[in-house]
Amino acid sequence: MMEPVKMDKLDRILASEEELLPSSGLAASVMDRVRGEMDAPEPIPFPWKRVLPGMLIAAAGLIWCVVEMVRMAVAALLNFNLEHLQLPGSAMRSLASAGWVLASLGVSLVSWLLARRLIGRGGLV
Amino acid sequence: MSTDAGNASVATGVNADLADVDRVLAGDGNAFAGIVRRWQGPLLNMAWRYCRDRGRAEEMTQEALVRAWRGLRQWRREGSFSTWLFALAANVFRSELKRFPAVNVPIEDAAEPSLAPAQESGLASRRVAEEVRRAVLALPVRYRESVVLFYFHEMDVSAAARTMGMPEGTVKARLARARALLKKRFPQLEDQQAALDMAEKEA
Repeated sequence: MMEPVKMDKLDRILASEEELLPSSGLAASVMDRVRGEMDAPEPIPFPWKRVLPGMLIAAAGLIWCVVEMVRMAVAALLNFNLEHLQLPGSAMRSLASAGWVLASLGVSLVSWLLARRLIGRGGLV
Repeated sequence: MSTDAGNASVATGVNADLADVDRVLAGDGNAFAGIVRRWQGPLLNMAWRYCRDRGRAEEMTQEALVRAWRGLRQWRREGSFSTWLFALAANVFRSELKRFPAVNVPIEDAAEPSLAPAQESGLASRRVAEEVRRAVLALPVRYRESVVLFYFHEMDVSAAARTMGMPEGTVKARLARARALLKKRFPQLEDQQAALDMAEKEA
């Protein structure tokens, strides 16, 4: 035999809801919607037979474009020489500043995420 | 005797659900009326606990039943029909309330009963109870649903967990946290409980 569950005041309050009775029109409204869906004409099937050849040609063209771009990028990378790359001093300083800005944004993001997580654990949101 | 009668009625309901589902899937849409008739009440009461708004609960119940009609083929029959239907309804209610939340106040701002426990009359007691129930809606979302479904399923953790599609341990942990938040918000419940416990001991 099961032992009766010990209920405290909170349990008693939350477990003792009065039962609602559905309104007289609820079942009828549901069945109206169901019948409406039953009577609706079947959706027109998608014309795969007509579309498929065009889609295959488009996919082949796309793949060919990607292959060509990769091939050109690889060729350009092989011809690239770091010795030709010379940045002026001002550009180097800007790059360094941008690095610091990115680092500070990163730190802010991490602290914001951490704060959200801590608040979430506390059940405040 | 009454248990036998209860079991028989549950079995009859289960068989009736199976028969109606078979008829609907065979093309007799009108057989869905039987499912609607048997389940509109439980779903309405479940929806009410999610939003505590009678009109909205009826709308959400209607939506859940129509979605059940559309998705009837997806019921795998490994679990019971009721488990599938409650889980589907919980999904519908959750997404409906995500679109238009029922309550936007945090639990700290939920109404607090003004009467002291000593002054508690029948009316005040009912008011406290209603405010506690409304405070459930102000709980953070992940705790709220555990509370709603746990008490809807008559304090059965495994039934609540099945409806939510979550492990029982997770539901238990969320319930404990939700109860702690509610008791913190309504400390007078603890005082009243302590008084009741003392009276029981003395008796």
